[in-house]
Parts: sequence; structure tokens; C-alpha cells
Amino acid sequence: MNFKLSEEQELIRKNIREFAEKNVDPIAAEIDEKERHPAELFKKLAEGGWMGIPIPTQYGGSGADYLTNAIVVEELSRSCASTGFTVSIHVGIACMLILLFGNEEQKKKYLTPLARGEHMGAFVLTEPGAGTDVMAATTMAAKDGEFYVLNGTKTFISNGPLADTYIVFCWTDKAAGRKGMSSFIIPKGTPGLKPGEHFHKMGLRSSQTSEVVFKDCRVPKENLLGPEGAGMMNAMTGFDHGRVGISAQSVGILQAALDESIKYSKERVQMGSPIARHQAISWMIADMATDLSAARFLTYHAAWLKDQKLPFSKEAAMAKLFCAEKAMHHTIKAVQIHGGYGYIKGAKVERLMRDAKITEIYEGTSEAQRMVISGNVLR
Amino acid sequence: MPDIVVCFKWVVDEAYIRRTSSGDLDFTSVDYKISEYDRNAIEAAVRLRDAYGGSVTAMTVSVPEATKGIKDALSRGPDNAVFIADPSFRDLESSQTAAILGGVIKSRMSCQLVICGEGSGDFYAQQVGPRLAEILGIPCATYVQKITIDGGQVIAERKAEDFVEVVAMPMPALVTVLPDIGTPRIPGVKDTLMASKKPVVTLGKGDLERIPEASLKTVGMKASRMERECEKFTVDTADIARFVGALQRKGVLR
Ligand SMILES: Cc1cc2nc3c(=O)[nH]c(=O)nc-3n(C[C@H](O)[C@H](O)[C@H](O)COP(=O)(O)OP(=O)(O)OC[C@H]3O[C@@H](n4cnc5c(N)ncnc54)[C@H](O)[C@@H]3O)c2cc1C
Repeated sequence: MNFKLSEEQELIRKNIREFAEKNVDPIAAEIDEKERHPAELFKKLAEGGWMGIPIPTQYGGSGADYLTNAIVVEELSRSCASTGFTVSIHVGIACMLILLFGNEEQKKKYLTPLARGEHMGAFVLTEPGAGTDVMAATTMAAKDGEFYVLNGTKTFISNGPLADTYIVFCWTDKAAGRKGMSSFIIPKGTPGLKPGEHFHKMGLRSSQTSEVVFKDCRVPKENLLGPEGAGMMNAMTGFDHGRVGISAQSVGILQAALDESIKYSKERVQMGSPIARHQAISWMIADMATDLSAARFLTYHAAWLKDQKLPFSKEAAMAKLFCAEKAMHHTIKAVQIHGGYGYIKGAKVERLMRDAKITEIYEGTSEAQRMVISGNVLR
Repeated sequence: MPDIVVCFKWVVDEAYIRRTSSGDLDFTSVDYKISEYDRNAIEAAVRLRDAYGGSVTAMTVSVPEATKGIKDALSRGPDNAVFIADPSFRDLESSQTAAILGGVIKSRMSCQLVICGEGSGDFYAQQVGPRLAEILGIPCATYVQKITIDGGQVIAERKAEDFVEVVAMPMPALVTVLPDIGTPRIPGVKDTLMASKKPVVTLGKGDLERIPEASLKTVGMKASRMERECEKFTVDTADIARFVGALQRKGVLR
């Protein structure tokens, strides 16, 4: 057993930390407040190769491993959970799905600009009536000669308003059940594809979330991602990868909560001593540090399994469940440690607490993770 | 087209040093980093190469575990590295480091420009650069904030207290640089991954000439302590007078 990161992974962590302190920390509060997508920041991330870390260099990526990607999502999320998530969904799902299931032509045409960070990707699955229950989806792709014609409405799509490349899941044969769903790569500007209503959110506010509406959207059959009928399988594989990213995002949030709590509790004096000396506070911090360690190990282990080409679906679900719930739990504690000051805009812990909540919801709610895990262990 | 040697030190990252309750320094879980000013030196060397051609060799004297430092340096743009390593090189003093660097440069390398950071992040003795220039028998400019190359000459802007001095030196020459020379880049992912593919010459104690004895001995190391006092004053006249008196006693006011 070896718990040590490679020298490259350690150096990359230091570099992305420095990058985040210089480029993300100064704008994190502002982009949250204004719900702004920081295009200038993503340009810099693209220049450093941070938008395609685990994608081979021949397809525009940086050619590192998945664990390195998790470390980078963690460090970015420590500064800004929205930024970490945007990288996570772009790389972990959009890029990975094309890498894993796309043909050579699709990798050249779509993956390469995505992995270079010149294009932004989106994962388009959820519908108003189909969240946890993916089978309840109603978006259809009807075959018409060399084309498919899509109709339906997708919702809560991250990067929805700004993506260049949409990975879309819909029925090609509803009667075939799980084997009746297919996935498509659809570039922005395709007639009939339109971002719909733009949502305002409690947290994760600089990530752009919207509906994506398909109205007689004609897509050539070359844009099928994988064979017809492979959509559900592709979506589940996408989730496995994405969940490692959300785990890493949660670890970053948790680390930030701990950083802030340590700093504040050493400075804030009440009843004659820094509040860190009061056991009620120091024990909260002890629990936070312990759960952070466990969360990080679960996350790195899931990423490591992926890098070893071993099954990691259960471990990704466990990591996602644990990390998300601990991030939520401890960001509430972090606000508690800050007292009234933690409830005021401008306190980082206030943003962390709002951002943490989403980790328990997207890419499968905590309940959905428990279904995956119990399904695995009760088999 | 100068060939440049840039020297860097792999130092303890002070953020990881802990202070124990007895005032001792705890180094048990420290990480290391390239000394701050040396990162500026590497950046300066790489920018000069990009502007004038030639090559950049990064060079360090350290312990064998410092391989991460070599990768870190190479990820910042140099073409290759010389790694002079021995377990006994942990606490070298400036005179020894300069002697080792000088011996290797003299016997094995040809370069027109040597760049060092003004001082290292741990001791900031500012000795290695000037000593190395002496050993190599080449001119040296310290406190440099800008370097240009003009034919066979290095033009260096030296930052003095109230003015800037511009000096020209025939090459080969040595400069020690300040942070003003240029902000170090943050290496991208590929820069870090490619670093381990660049050539590194590793030398051990056996490859070196005799290393001079240390002339300094570290007897102990303690955290510095700041004595603080706290006294409360109100705004009534008597207290204000007492406050002024206290400041005078402390020498803050005369
Ligand atoms: C900010 C944000 C970004 C998102 N980004 C994307 C994206 O990029 N792409 C995308 O496709 N989707 C995205 N989503 C959608 C997200 O994945 C869904 O919201 C999530 O899967 C839950 O679906 P739902 O909202 O319909 O809730 P529901 O499925 O209706 O769940 C409601 C509640 O019921 C519980 N529940 C549901 N079914 C069961 C069951 N069988 N047993 C027990 N409990 C159950 C759930 O756990 C939850 O607590 C995003 C959502 C948000 C809020």
C-alpha cells in the first residue's frame, strides 16, 4: 500500500493552489454575488491545460491521470466551488464520455477543442419530470433517414446557456426500456436546440444553469455517441466519473471550511480566551479535520481505482455520498464557529454553506447514492 | 546566444514549520520548495533564452531526495538540469555551496551567464552569488532588477536605495536578481509532466573536488518570540496623560 502522491501530483497541486490564490480567490465572492461566469478565468485555466487534465495529449488534453484531475477540482473548489464544479462536469463527464465512447472522428472534432478548453461541454440528461428517475424521461429522437429529430425539454443543465458541445440523452426506442436510450453529441447553433429558462440559485451561483429545449432539432446520425441504445450505459459511466469530481469538489469545500474555522477560532476571543481553546469549538474542528481526511481518502481511492482500470462505480458512489454529506454537515458547523459574523455576506463560510448543499443533490442525490451502494453490497 | 546556468536552492517551505510549546521549531512534517528569489532567477533565465536563444541549465546542490525540486525547476522552462546530491548536503553553508557549484561549472560546463537569486529563503545570507563569481573569476552584479544582453555584454540594472545603477559586464558574468526581475510563471499541467523527460546530470560527492570545511556551526535554533504587553486606557484626561507617558517610557515618543 502506498499513500504517497507522485512528485508530479504534488507539484501540480502546489501549482493549481497558487493559481487559485492568484486568480480565483480575488473574484470568488463577486462571481457568486453577481452569478457571473468568469470567462477570463476559464481562458487562463485553458492556457495552463487545466481544462483537459486526464485527456491524452493527442486529443488536446494534458495526458495526466484521473487522480490528478480530482486534486485540481479539489483545490479549485477550495477557493470557489462553482469553478471547481465547472471544471469537473466539463472534464469528468463531457470530455470523458467522448473519450470513452466517441469514434476517432468525434474525438478530433469535438473532444480536442473541449480538452483544450476552447469549447465548453454540457451533460444533458435531467428533465422536469425525470431527475432521480431517469427512465421517466420523455425527450425523443425520431429516426428520419440519415437524421434523428429531437423533441423535448431538459432542465437544470449546467453550462446550459454557454456550452459549445452538448452531450444529450433521449429515447430512440422507448419500448426497449433501458436499452432504448441513446446519447448524441450536439454542437451549439444546431437549429432546434435552444437554452431555455436560466435559473437563479441558492449556491453554486457562478455556474450557469438553464433549461435546454429541443424543438424539431435535426441531428445527423454521425452524432450518435456510441451505438444506438447505449445511452443509459453511457450516462451511468458518466456519473461514475462525474461523482469522483463531485467528491473532490466536496473535499475542497470541506478543506476551506476547516481553514476558515481554524483561522477564525484562533483569533476570536470570548470569555478571556480564543474560542479555539473552548472544548465545544475545538471538538467541532477535530471532527471536521477527521471527516476531511476520510473524505479525501475515499475520493483519491475511487480516482486511483479508475486509473488502475479497476471497477470504481461503488467506490465513486460511496465517496460522493460521504463527502457531500460531510461537506454540508461541517459547513453548517463552520458558520456556527463564526457566530453572527458567519451569517453575514462576505464571510467565506456563508458561501461555503450555500455551495455545499448542491453536492448532496446533483449527479445523483444522496438517496440515489444509497440505492447504488446498497444495490452493490446486497447483490 | 548565451548558455545560461541558473542556480536554485530547495528550501524548507516555512508555512509547514511548527512551533512547539517550548519554543522549539518542529520540522517533522515540512515540505520543500524552490527558494522564492530563485524562482525569479529561473524565470529571468528562461525569458532571456526565449529572447536571445541559447540554453538554460538549472543547477542545485542538495540532498538526494530533492528530485521533486529538479522537476519543479524544469517545469518552469529550463532545458536541462545538473543535480549535485549527497545526504551530507542538507546543511551546507554558503561558502561550501559556492565551492561545489564553482567546481562543477569550471570543470564540466561552458556558460556565458550565471544567474542566482539575491538570497535564499531560509538564511538570506546573499553569499552564494558573489562567492561563486569570485571562484569563477568573472564579474558580478547584485540587486539586479533587469537584464539585457548586447553583443558580448550583459547590461544589468541594479536597484540601489534611491536610484538605479546600470552596469555593463563582459560575458561570462554572474548576476543575482531581485523579485522585480519578473513574476515567475505558474507551470501548466503539461509543463510538470514533461519536466521528468528533460535531461538531468546527477553528480555525487565522488564527482567533486574537495569541499572546504564549514566555518560556521549551528548550535541551536529557536523560534523568535515577540513579547507583547497589553494595557488599557480610557479617554479621560488623566488616562491620556498616562498613555503619553507610557509611550515615552517605551521610546515610541520622545
Ligand atoms: C445546480 C444544479 C446543476 C445540475 N446540473 C445538471 C447537469 O448538468 N445535467 C443534468 O442532467 N442534470 C443536472 N442537474 C439535475 C440533478 O442531477 C437533479 O436535480 C437530481 O438528479 C435530482 O433530480 P430531481 O431534482 O428531479 O429530484 P427528484 O428525483 O424529484 O428527487 C426529489 C427527492 O426525492 C428523492 N427520491 C427520488 N427518488 C427516490 C427513490 N426512488 N427513493 C428514495 N428517494 C427518492 C430524492 O433523493 C430527493 O430527495 C442539476 C441540478 C442542479 C440543482
